[in-house]
Amino acid sequence: MSAAHEASLHPDEKYKAGKMGQKVVTGGLVGFVVLTALSWLLSGSAAGHTADGTGHSRFFYGYLIGWTFILSIALGALLYVLIHHLVKAKWSTSTRRVAEILAGTFPIIAIGGLVIIIPLLAGRDDIYWWANKGFDHAEHVSASKHTWLSPAFFAVRYVIYFAAWIGLARYFTVRSRKQDETGDLALSKQMQFFSAPAVIIFALTICYAAFDFLMTLAPQWWSTIYGVNYFGGAMIAGYASIALLSMILQRTGRLQRSITTEHYHDLGKMVFAFTFFWAYTAFSQFMLIWYANVAEETVFYNYRMFGEGWKWVSIVLTFGQWLIPFVLLMSRWSKRILPLFAVFCVWQLCFHWLDLYWNVMPNYHWGAEAHGAAHLVTGPLTGPVGENNVNFSPVDITTWFALIALFIAGIGRGLKGNLIPVKDPNLGASVAHENY
Amino acid sequence: METNENNDHDEATSAHAGETSPATGSTSGHDGARASSNSDEGELYGVLAEFDSPGALVKAARKVKDAGYGDFDCYSPFPVHGIDEAMGIKRTILPVLVFCGGITGTFLGFLLQWYCNASAWQWNVAGKPVWSIPANVPIGFETTILLSVFTTFFGMWILNKLPQVWHPFFRLDRFTKVTDDGFMLGIEAKDGRFDAVETKKLLESAGAIAVEECYLDASPANTKMPMFIYGVIICTTALALVPFALVYKARASHSKDPHYHIFGDMDFQAKVKSDQYNDLFADGRSNRGEISGTIPRGWLNDDTSYAQGLENGAWITSFPTSVEVSRDLLRRGKQRYEIYCSPCHGVDGRGAGMVAVRSQKIGQGILPRNLVDPGAGVITQPNGQLFNTISNGNNTMMGYGAQIPVADRWAIVAYVRALERSQFAAGTDLTDAERSAAMGATP
Ligand code: HEC
Repeated sequence: MSAAHEASLHPDEKYKAGKMGQKVVTGGLVGFVVLTALSWLLSGSAAGHTADGTGHSRFFYGYLIGWTFILSIALGALLYVLIHHLVKAKWSTSTRRVAEILAGTFPIIAIGGLVIIIPLLAGRDDIYWWANKGFDHAEHVSASKHTWLSPAFFAVRYVIYFAAWIGLARYFTVRSRKQDETGDLALSKQMQFFSAPAVIIFALTICYAAFDFLMTLAPQWWSTIYGVNYFGGAMIAGYASIALLSMILQRTGRLQRSITTEHYHDLGKMVFAFTFFWAYTAFSQFMLIWYANVAEETVFYNYRMFGEGWKWVSIVLTFGQWLIPFVLLMSRWSKRILPLFAVFCVWQLCFHWLDLYWNVMPNYHWGAEAHGAAHLVTGPLTGPVGENNVNFSPVDITTWFALIALFIAGIGRGLKGNLIPVKDPNLGASVAHENY
Repeated sequence: METNENNDHDEATSAHAGETSPATGSTSGHDGARASSNSDEGELYGVLAEFDSPGALVKAARKVKDAGYGDFDCYSPFPVHGIDEAMGIKRTILPVLVFCGGITGTFLGFLLQWYCNASAWQWNVAGKPVWSIPANVPIGFETTILLSVFTTFFGMWILNKLPQVWHPFFRLDRFTKVTDDGFMLGIEAKDGRFDAVETKKLLESAGAIAVEECYLDASPANTKMPMFIYGVIICTTALALVPFALVYKARASHSKDPHYHIFGDMDFQAKVKSDQYNDLFADGRSNRGEISGTIPRGWLNDDTSYAQGLENGAWITSFPTSVEVSRDLLRRGKQRYEIYCSPCHGVDGRGAGMVAVRSQKIGQGILPRNLVDPGAGVITQPNGQLFNTISNGNNTMMGYGAQIPVADRWAIVAYVRALERSQFAAGTDLTDAERSAAMGATP
């Protein structure tokens, strides 16, 4: 039986990773350390927030954006694997190992997240206002939020999320790799069986993680669709990254025949679909808040639509992350002409970062001295809207690159053994897959 | 490849030689499966060939296309991958049509809302603007989907020449297999290359397991559409007009019957409106007002110099730090002054506005203060006090705080200051160039 499946690969096909993984890990880690140190130096010597947008808080804000960025890619890739098994997909078999490699980065992301968690546990309020003393006295925040938002409980949830994600990723990766050797069909059955509860665990954890890591930046504000919107961005990033990593692996001469234009075309359809999904959820969130016009809720958009500079970021985001790729990715050629598709993937990843930037950065100013000590008590999104400038800083970019480097190191850990599930019963169908 | 095809063909022809060999004459092409006699056969419609697998059908289609035929089609129980390419069918233009349909939907959706809400029937709903893009997006989205789907659905029908209730091949019993396990290829006689003998040979050599000729019905009556179909069309059209007739009747006649409430819980919602009576509260009002001791978000005026013109209990003499006195501010102030103040105080501030002139004529009312005369005292008032007069009024003058936003009030203050100054302009206020220009103009 298994011999037949292996035969679905061309005899000349190169699908072994070889030793390239180690180099990638070293390169990624060095890049991470160097860029993180550089960002820390660039963020100036002042602790906390400063008016001109420097200070170590700036470093932490940039770091949070970069970290939630790479986390979203890993989450997107994880769901790719879960959906593959859940619907017994065939076409996505060829690129499934690539997704598994991306989803295998959770442990290293968890370690990277300690940069956020440890200062928090040490009582620092560089990122989250609710870690500030002022929060304890803020009366307009309900009591239950005080319970939920304590550094210790936050850290506990951090552990739960990563236990879930690392556990899910391992469950599927280990079995998938084992099938490479044994060709055992029971492993496929096991994965299919577990994929259904796994998707539920995934949905709950990604929602709550988005609430915790991003939405609590402004703890007075809330939106129930927030997690779904983060999920939409994560799926764009996940599919785009799977396509890019596959292209990179193909450039090394591997997987020449088993990942074809047809697979990129389908990955492109998913990028396209989730581009719209992201916009749909983003608009759903905006629309309800805009229409109800309740000050507690509109404050989020008030800063982003009327803040000097931020309104331009909002417009650029609408066009860049949604309208332009939505119209252009509609054509089958923008998905089938691979250099063009690669450009769209990179484009969407950049705008996904901008989306996170837009979500995170407007909260930054609460501690800035320019707005006086009062804001230490009232928190983010309470100062004059007009004074909430973008204050772009190079640190925002260097921290992003630092975390991409960390992510690359995580990818390197997975670049070993086979780069394709060689004995998966559906591999033949996937390799022969065609779009009509 | 070549050899394979030849093998298939050899097998096919040898296995079914009995069926295909008599097919040489023009009217004797039937293999005997049909019970009908030749007498009711009309013109030759085309030939139909059956193949034993989808793969064979694809190969045959390619061969027929390469032989230069155009008027032929393939029939199979399920979609066969690759058949379009083999038959030489161009990519469908349906996606382009759907795209255009979608864009049209967006446009019409917005147009509809603009016409209904912003043009024909402007209706104030909770103080929302009558025309606002965010509110229109959901409907625009729906109409985009609607017209895309319609274009897809009807476009597919039209491009496929559907509905097609009857086809000449239905006359062959063999053709019923196409809904089960038959893979068929039919070439029409109207094709320029069609030749009763050669075409069949070609199909046989392409691996057909059977080739049959198909004739149209000889009697013209049988080619007509059955009468009952006309009946169905007329009846459904008539039924479709009933709702319109009912709507027309409702609009054109009067009735004492109560309305139909299709969505009762939408028409009678379990909620109170702000001005309704409500016996739940002692004062009988539904509107509970602001809760004492609270301030709505964004209403906190902690900057007293800006919100009240006061600093440490005294009127401010300059402008608050957040107000930047600029040409733009003065221009705004002029405009606002002329709207809100000039009817009484006059455009020049001397108190000869329309209202004042009229009240003097009828001998009633108190004259507005002259804002620019030093004797009237406004010139020496601090800015904060002037701001306060605009906000809260003074003696018999009403306050305008409810109508004029704070920023505009400061603009008016700046403009009144400019008006005052303008009454005492000296030649030295002008630049040299301006002065010489002015002198030149008035010799
Ligand atoms: C309906 C007519 C009316 C309008 C409109 C009006 N005023 Fe007056 N205003 C008066 C009258 C009448 C007085 C004199 C009140 C009195 O002394 O009883 C007055 C007095 C004043 C004074 C003197 C207050 C003082 O302390 O003695 C100022 C300053 C003034 N107005 C400014 C304004 C400005 C600025 C506006 C435009 C926002 C305005 N007014 C609009 C009728 C008007």
